[in-house]
Amino acid sequence: MRPLDPALLRHARSARWYLLVGAVLAGAQALAILAFAWSLQSLVVGLIDGASLASLSTWTAWFAAAVVVRALVAWGWDAAGTIGAAAVASELRVAALRALGRSPGRRIDSTVDTAVAVGGGLDALQPYFGRFLPQLVATVVVVPTLVLAVLVADPLSGLILVIVLPLVPVFMVLIGLVTRAVQERQWAALTHLSRQFLELVGGLSTLIVHGRQHRQEARIRADTDDYRVRTMRVLRVTFLSSFVLELAASLSVALVAVSIGLRLVDGTVAFAAGLFVLLLAPEVFLPVRNVGAQFHASAEGITAARNVLALIDAPDEDGADAAVSRPADPGAPSDDDVVLDLRGVSIAYDGRAAVHGLDLVLRRGELVALGGPSGAGKSSVLGAVLGFVPHEGAITVDGRSDAASRRDRLAWAGQEAVLLPGTVAENVALGEPEPHPEAVRRALRDAASDDVAPEQPIGARGEGLSGGQTDRVAIARALHRLRVRDLPLLLLDEPTAATDPEREAVLVHTLRGLAREGRAVLVVSHRPAVLEAADRVVRIEAVTHVG
Amino acid sequence: MSAERNRSLRLAMPPARRFALPVLLGALSAGSTIALLAASAWLIARAAEQPPILFLSLGVVGVRAFAIGRGLFRYLERLTGHDAAFRQLADLRVGMVRRIVPLAPDGLAATRRGDLLARFTDDVDELQDLPLRVVQPVAGAVIAIVLALAGIAWLAPGAALVVALVLVLGLLVATLGQGVLSVRAERRIAPLRGSLADAVLAHVQGLPTLVAYDAEGASLARVADVDARLRRARVRAAVGSGLAGAAVAITAGAAVLGAMQAAAGPLAAGALGGPEFAIVVLVPLAILEVAGVVPVAWATWRTVRRSAERVDGAVPEDLPAGLPTPVAAPQQLPAGTDGPPLLELRDVRASWPDLAGVGASHALGGVDLVVRPGERVLVRGPSGAGKTTLAHVLVGFLAYEGSFRVDGVEASEVDADRLRERIGLCEQRPWLFDTDIRQNLLFARDDADDDALLAVLDRVGLGDWVRERGGLDASVGERGALVSGGQAQRIALARAMLADFPVLVLDEPTANVDQERADALLADLLAAGADGRTVILISHDRVDPSLVDRTVVCADGRVPAAT
Repeated sequence: MRPLDPALLRHARSARWYLLVGAVLAGAQALAILAFAWSLQSLVVGLIDGASLASLSTWTAWFAAAVVVRALVAWGWDAAGTIGAAAVASELRVAALRALGRSPGRRIDSTVDTAVAVGGGLDALQPYFGRFLPQLVATVVVVPTLVLAVLVADPLSGLILVIVLPLVPVFMVLIGLVTRAVQERQWAALTHLSRQFLELVGGLSTLIVHGRQHRQEARIRADTDDYRVRTMRVLRVTFLSSFVLELAASLSVALVAVSIGLRLVDGTVAFAAGLFVLLLAPEVFLPVRNVGAQFHASAEGITAARNVLALIDAPDEDGADAAVSRPADPGAPSDDDVVLDLRGVSIAYDGRAAVHGLDLVLRRGELVALGGPSGAGKSSVLGAVLGFVPHEGAITVDGRSDAASRRDRLAWAGQEAVLLPGTVAENVALGEPEPHPEAVRRALRDAASDDVAPEQPIGARGEGLSGGQTDRVAIARALHRLRVRDLPLLLLDEPTAATDPEREAVLVHTLRGLAREGRAVLVVSHRPAVLEAADRVVRIEAVTHVG
Repeated sequence: MSAERNRSLRLAMPPARRFALPVLLGALSAGSTIALLAASAWLIARAAEQPPILFLSLGVVGVRAFAIGRGLFRYLERLTGHDAAFRQLADLRVGMVRRIVPLAPDGLAATRRGDLLARFTDDVDELQDLPLRVVQPVAGAVIAIVLALAGIAWLAPGAALVVALVLVLGLLVATLGQGVLSVRAERRIAPLRGSLADAVLAHVQGLPTLVAYDAEGASLARVADVDARLRRARVRAAVGSGLAGAAVAITAGAAVLGAMQAAAGPLAAGALGGPEFAIVVLVPLAILEVAGVVPVAWATWRTVRRSAERVDGAVPEDLPAGLPTPVAAPQQLPAGTDGPPLLELRDVRASWPDLAGVGASHALGGVDLVVRPGERVLVRGPSGAGKTTLAHVLVGFLAYEGSFRVDGVEASEVDADRLRERIGLCEQRPWLFDTDIRQNLLFARDDADDDALLAVLDRVGLGDWVRERGGLDASVGERGALVSGGQAQRIALARAMLADFPVLVLDEPTANVDQERADALLADLLAAGADGRTVILISHDRVDPSLVDRTVVCADGRVPAAT
């Protein structure tokens, strides 16, 4: 794992600013430490030599100033970390959302996971910028400065530090290599065990149904104990690396102290230089130790950034490309009544053909149902028309072939209705700058949503409506767009899957009415009521059976 | 509130005997840190007086010993501390389960709304930070610091007093000041963080919709707006949050200067030797290094306290209204020798407990229903009509008013566990444990052998599926990720059949199943499930009438008496 990803600097300009500020802070920090150690030793040596405190007031002032600068630097690092992390998070967030928008149909394994990664997940940058990077910068800036000062004050002590310091990372890497195998072997078992309590709480109602809830105590105890034994086995090794770090640091201080002490006796080193070096020695190791200690805390931040960078850098996936590259057959009959024209459309998912060579023409006034077993690719056909799903073959909507223009000429409601926070009316009139209440009411009525008031609020996660109501409001949204913009094509995906028969009848009536108005309606459905009302039923068979 | 909070926090604290060793080791490690600086300061200051080298040997030995001791004790402290905390985790979890079992499932927000589940269990596990990251490091540091101050006091009492005062003052400013500032900042930031998460989630989930309705730009602007407000709040808060680090640095300087002032007099008067003076002046630096754990522990304490509040909020001490209360002298159900019992519901009313974090639920306002032994009854009604409420009343998850008799005995007077031996439930979202299929079936009847399990799987139509996947050892994945909604229902039915409930309630078994597979699933469930049992099927969907004996309609929480 890289401690500092160049891609992060490339995508987030704030990160570069942060490093610049950090370098200045680290420089101030190094100088303050030197002033601190030199003024303190001057005070101690002076007082022991018999000087009065009043005669040393210059050094007292220097010392106080050094302390204040150190405090300011500590405060500055904290502020810079928070500000830097927040600024970088914002930049990455906006870039990631823009990237997602460039290919709206890109298949995301879990929208919730993606939203967490782009939203709250970036909070993990805080420890990375606030605690890890400062120590990394300090290691690069402060440590060499201090080592140089020690070399000047007492070359032998400096030599000890120069020899021991590089050993620390070497040891860490060695221990890391040795322990990695152990850690990885245990990791899967650990995550599994750590989830057992969650499993138990989640499955409690199932356990109660079967009268097993009273037996769980012994099981938790056994599981948690197993978890403890395995975790301790891992920790014994994990803690070794910080043990070695700490031991190396304190033994070097001891080595320096003893060597200075012995040389003070024969007078080959001065008391002042000796005390100065003694005060500096622990400071030399501090940033290195902290880098090690914070590395795991920051790993989360690095992972968070990398998840988002992966979204940003992912290649665009626009369903329109293939269609543009293969324009519609010029010899095809041009017919003003044709609203939707699919020619030789093939769709592949994960390399597996889902739809193969589909030809489909919808004319004005037609209500066509798309049927077929689930998994045959019915929704993918709608996705291809919308330009969300990559496909081969030509698709035109109202004579237009590129994806954005196709979307301009149709209204659509997907299988999983997505409502946005706001009111029902705002959702129904989505994308219309000036909604008309009457149009909204009519759309709701036509979508059999008389049980939903336009002013009803919808929560951040769709709270406030039942599943069926949500579906119907999404349909009302499509009807609203269709009418207000006077579009020729309506696409619906399983509009009545969770609807009772009475409301289904209303909806079917609406669809027939739209066809009568001269629009084309393509609806994916299994429901007998919908299939019966359709002028035609086009069945898509699973490709594997067709061959 | 504080008594409430103590309930969870007490569960998290290990007993003293388990706790003493890590605290002692922590004190030894912190003490070594201080002693290392004291010994090396003494060694150098004493050596500067150029005594015979023999006089230094004690210092040399001390420096080396403390250097090794510091790392070694720290390593041992971390190991023993984690071990103690993990041992306590078992007690903590068991104690928590004892508290939540009487509430589950309907009185516990975490089991009613899946998204609260992970937070609840994380909160419970986070309570173990109380011993590990709050009490133990602070206790070790305090012991070491008190001893160090005592040592300074032995050399120069005035200096010890000054250092102690500066230390207490500095830590107070660092912890309390930072606490106040970050509480205020958090209060401003937390809601913004929530709105940002919501805005991002709405944007990502609604992206296809937003694109299809030309609304992507507007949504992006909304996210950017919340983001900017959050960033401004964070930047404002950052100005205050660095206070702890700055205060510790200032305190260290002040302690050194104070000790110097106080010890300068005795040094000049000859009451204090040079090497001892060096110790008195420099040891405060090490003391402050050790004391640095206090602000960190304080911040952790606030996190732990919030977790404890959430846990206690999620697990009310008193049974909330709507849950059945345990029966003191339960009645026995008549021994059911002749098949399933007769169920008689007269004007049954019930409602869900009102829980924080769980939205309004649908109440029953009067159900009249008689189910004769062996009958297959469909309870149909739109979503929100109270059908699941009815199911939960039938299995004793929810309390009811009115009368619900099982073979003539009032169900509320029967021990709920006994009631559930007669009436079983296949939940709408059956929980599959993240293990293999065998374990997911065995807990329903643990003496069943593999042949019996496979036979049951055959009857629920999963036999081929299980064999294709390599038999009973096949994993179902985390939260049943490797299993479809229909298969999960079939597994739940297999469990119910293993448990051999005389009455089986199926709650929306086709809710998460493709329409075209739903009919086949229902036919299989009813064919396999009925088999001499009473089956109460609850569904918002129309069901092939030939599959059931009778259909009743549930609307607005009511099932009218049969005419």
